[in-house]
Amino acid sequence: MITSFLFKNLDRGIIVVVAILLGLAVAIPALNLLTAPDHPFHVPTYLVSLFGKYLTYALLALALDLVWGFCGILSLGHAAFFALGGYAMGMYLMRQIGARGSYGNPLLPDFMVFLNWKELPWFWQGFDMFWFAALMVVLVPGLLAFVFGWFAFRSRVNGVYLSIITQAMTYALLLAFFRNDMGFGGNNGLTDFKDILGFNIQAQTTRAALFAASAVTLASCLVLTTAIVRSKYGKVLVAVRDAESRTRFLGYRVEHIKLFAFTVSAMMAGIAGALYVPQVGIINPGEFEPGNSIEVVIWTAVGGRGTLIGPIVGAILVNGGKSIFTAAFPEFWLFALGGLFVFVTLFLPKGVVGTVSAYLARRKAQGRAADADKLVAEPMAAE
Amino acid sequence: MYRILQTLLITLCLLVSVHVTGLRAADDLAALVATLGTAKLSELDDRIDALARSGDARVIPVLEALGEGNLYTRKADGSVFLTTEKGASLVLLDPLSGAEIGEAAKGDIQKIKVNNSVRRAVRSALSGLTLFSTDTSARLKAAQSMRQTPNADALEAIETALAAEKDATVRKTLDEARAVTLLISDRSDDDKRAAIKTLAESGGREALGVLTSALSSADASLKPDIEAALQQIEQAQVFWNAGQNVWYGLSLGSVLLLAAIGLAITFGVMGIINMAHGEMVMLGAYTTFIVQDVIRTSYPVLFDWSLAIALPLAFLVTGIIGLAIERSVIRFLYGRPLETLLATWGISLILQQSVRSIFGPTNREVGNPSWMAGAFELGGLTITWNRMWIIVFALAVFAALLFLLKRTSMGLKMRAVTQNRRMASSMGIRTPLVDALTFALGSGIAGMAGVALSQIDNVSPNLGQGYIIDSFMVVVFGGVGNLWGTLVGAFSLGILNKFLEPYAGAVLGKILVLVLIILFIQKKPRGLFALKGRAVEA
Amino acid sequence: MNQTISQTKPKSLLYLDGVSVSFDGFKALNSLSFVIEPGELRAIIGPNGAGKTTMMDIITGKTRPDEGQVFFKGDIDLTQRDEAEIANLGIGRKFQKPTVFESHTIWDNLELALNRRRGVFPTLFYRLTADDRARIEEILSTVRLSARRDDLAANLSHGQKQWLEIGMLLAQEPELLLVDEPVAGMTDAETAETAVLLKEIARTRSVVVVEHDMGFIRELGVKVTCLAEGSVLAEGSIDFVSSDAKVIENYLGR
Repeated sequence: MITSFLFKNLDRGIIVVVAILLGLAVAIPALNLLTAPDHPFHVPTYLVSLFGKYLTYALLALALDLVWGFCGILSLGHAAFFALGGYAMGMYLMRQIGARGSYGNPLLPDFMVFLNWKELPWFWQGFDMFWFAALMVVLVPGLLAFVFGWFAFRSRVNGVYLSIITQAMTYALLLAFFRNDMGFGGNNGLTDFKDILGFNIQAQTTRAALFAASAVTLASCLVLTTAIVRSKYGKVLVAVRDAESRTRFLGYRVEHIKLFAFTVSAMMAGIAGALYVPQVGIINPGEFEPGNSIEVVIWTAVGGRGTLIGPIVGAILVNGGKSIFTAAFPEFWLFALGGLFVFVTLFLPKGVVGTVSAYLARRKAQGRAADADKLVAEPMAAE
Repeated sequence: MYRILQTLLITLCLLVSVHVTGLRAADDLAALVATLGTAKLSELDDRIDALARSGDARVIPVLEALGEGNLYTRKADGSVFLTTEKGASLVLLDPLSGAEIGEAAKGDIQKIKVNNSVRRAVRSALSGLTLFSTDTSARLKAAQSMRQTPNADALEAIETALAAEKDATVRKTLDEARAVTLLISDRSDDDKRAAIKTLAESGGREALGVLTSALSSADASLKPDIEAALQQIEQAQVFWNAGQNVWYGLSLGSVLLLAAIGLAITFGVMGIINMAHGEMVMLGAYTTFIVQDVIRTSYPVLFDWSLAIALPLAFLVTGIIGLAIERSVIRFLYGRPLETLLATWGISLILQQSVRSIFGPTNREVGNPSWMAGAFELGGLTITWNRMWIIVFALAVFAALLFLLKRTSMGLKMRAVTQNRRMASSMGIRTPLVDALTFALGSGIAGMAGVALSQIDNVSPNLGQGYIIDSFMVVVFGGVGNLWGTLVGAFSLGILNKFLEPYAGAVLGKILVLVLIILFIQKKPRGLFALKGRAVEA
Repeated sequence: MNQTISQTKPKSLLYLDGVSVSFDGFKALNSLSFVIEPGELRAIIGPNGAGKTTMMDIITGKTRPDEGQVFFKGDIDLTQRDEAEIANLGIGRKFQKPTVFESHTIWDNLELALNRRRGVFPTLFYRLTADDRARIEEILSTVRLSARRDDLAANLSHGQKQWLEIGMLLAQEPELLLVDEPVAGMTDAETAETAVLLKEIARTRSVVVVEHDMGFIRELGVKVTCLAEGSVLAEGSIDFVSSDAKVIENYLGR
């Protein structure tokens, strides 16, 4: 049942993207590890990590698209779920440092020794085990989204109200994580990681493996999301987006429908955060900045909301642009980003992928129009 | 018998001193000063006392010189001088007027000898003396210092001064100083009880300290009184602390009101969220900076008027920018509130970066005009003028806006569009025009808010960011389509924030408020003052 | 009056007694009472603001009454339930303005409306069975949209959207169907066809139609209830009601 659920609705576009991602998961590490640094096709390690970072961003955008593109929930809190996943991973990485920290305390991370703490807080227990941390990566954002969504959707908080409330949630988390006594490293966050699963986190092979993991995870999540939105449940999601009260009068519990998508989406964002942290080597409260969440929205919008490939394309395009732009003209990046927001909302509401596929569909329809007479004459075949 | 005599003597002294200060001060004073030269060491204390009772400010340099051992007497006639050196000889100065009288060789005059006991007497006399100064603020200062460091010897001087004092503030301070001093003196328990009562009524941290220290040394019979007084003061302090929190809350609330009110209008009328609203506030603050800059370099006398000049300018500047934004971007996005949110966010990034490019990323200095600076006391409250004026200003803006909405045709149209856009449109209201003007108005108000906020916050490109989420919370909490909702929302959030702060800390308090709002909209998803009925559903 | 209502309560499909609701002091419904029998087709008329839509809001759980009782099938208290629950109990509703899922195809619209389990997981793992397929085909031909099954609902004409919505209600298989102005904006031919369709539907379930179009109501030929100012003004056959003095004064005009 699960396999048919996952794969029956894949179309050519999705299959191509999944294939590309899986190809990259092999090719990029290979080009990095197996070619000499002066080889024309050599991919330097810093680029591997950079691309890996883009892929985690793409996953975050895909997660947002599930709720925004398909259910009309404009969450301005997805960076928070991303950061929570990142912190869960960061806590595992901190525990892996062990006695190698500056203070040499085998149990406590450096910042706790610095704050003169004597024992590990209860919420740091268990994070020395990877499986536990990995569980928390999905559970913590998922639980927050579930509780928050349960309250918000039950009382039918909609539209911009919901956006603002999710932003307030992110802001509250930002303030909380800045506090030293929260026990998450305060302002500085978690950093100076050494190992992941026993491998040196700085090593070229580890970086390549993390990239491959990101690509494979993104591909899997794409398959999963496709299965969700192409199922009847996905159709209900779109129905909620377009005519919420109609859906309700048909007998669907709209709050449950939304809650499921929101929770799954938050979990995916958490996974993205967990893959992001080891590749950039730090997680700090800055990730909760409300601006970050809105930036995710623009990646999705640029690529095309409500398409599955769009957010992936958008996240890679915008972040690639950002890397190039900030290197060349750092002071103009915000102008460019701001302009992008305005441009996309005004002139490209369907995004790049949406516009292209609408264009292709129109061409196809024109091609079909030629055979229209024939179609009318024959009775339509049943589905 | 001795006591009676003493009392008589004191009364006499009082009478004398009143006369001295009041009537023929100069002659008697000179005579008094002159006696210093001939007095024996043991008599000096009394003489100093007498001088002090004169309450004449001219005595001060004489006593100071005496205390420092710089008061001289001529061996020949025992008259008293201040001196300055001039070569081998000394110039003699009249101790009271400071006028030159002549010269003398060093051998002809001698210092008036003092010991520690005299020095102490001088010190206490000096502090008592200013109690009689003709300058009210000097008297107040003296009384305050005596309240702070009580000295049992000064008690009589305080009582004398109290009897003569006319200024109410000084009287009150003196009364408290007397009570404080009395507690450490050897007066009767009944007097002390009265003093405790005075202190209990005056309240404050100082009284609390005095009474606490008195508690340990006091008679057993006095202890219950002191304890009761302490309790009374503590209760009063709880009350005043609550009052101070309310005041801080009102102050924060007025800031929130200023920041949120423009947002509430655009959200109410147009149903859109303007994420660039905070940047309008920021631009208003920068307008103030520019106005002050021009005034500082060209017309420094106008500095006190800088805010009055900046207000209309800020309104115009941000209003025009708002109009431009509405015409060029927002009007194409009606009916798509989420897209509007994104586009205005983009605009906010552009505005922030523009200001950063032009003015630099650091804080710019915006000064307070003189009437905005300083503070005054109201009961146990300390109230700063800038906060005070901002509350007044916020309420004035609110009232003006209420008037605009309720009493003008523009306001009528705005309300019509808020309640039913389609109907308003078919009644012949040009809704696009109303939208454009509403947006300009909302932006203009944000600009004026920026002028006010420049007085209490750092003027930097990030100024607006700090307020935007709180303003949204006010709008969400207060409900859309009703200005009163914004007013109540702003002040209740402000006060709630300030009441939570002492218990939870500033950051945790803020988080709690956010959580409370999220829970609140469970009960009332449309805010406190939401529009009801079928119109809302559309 | 009250007594007769309580006697009919056990048998009746829908039972409203003394229902009042007000918005900001305006009484939208004022102690409204009436009863729908199983299998009945009932028309409701009344001037604007008479409370027709509010009544539907109350029955379908969108609005809670300030006071009064609303029972379905004798003992199910509708005032305690929300829209989704009430819909699943078997009450369908068609809005005044046709609301269909515009970015779905006509087929998907019907598939979504089909009376199957509507939870998250049943829909997630739902597979279109032969039965469901046949049922959708049947409804498609009932509402005459078979040829357009793969078109987006957004591309339908106004009348076709009305029909699609009726089709969706059929797919929902309700025991009670509330229809708000089904022929508004339809041509005369479409109106006549809609009357036939509704009568057909009413053979297997109860239908309540709110309409302004007196011709359409005459065509239905059923019991009519006239509402005004939130309560029942008159009830009976179309001829009886339209000759009632109060109805003429309040609604029909002279």
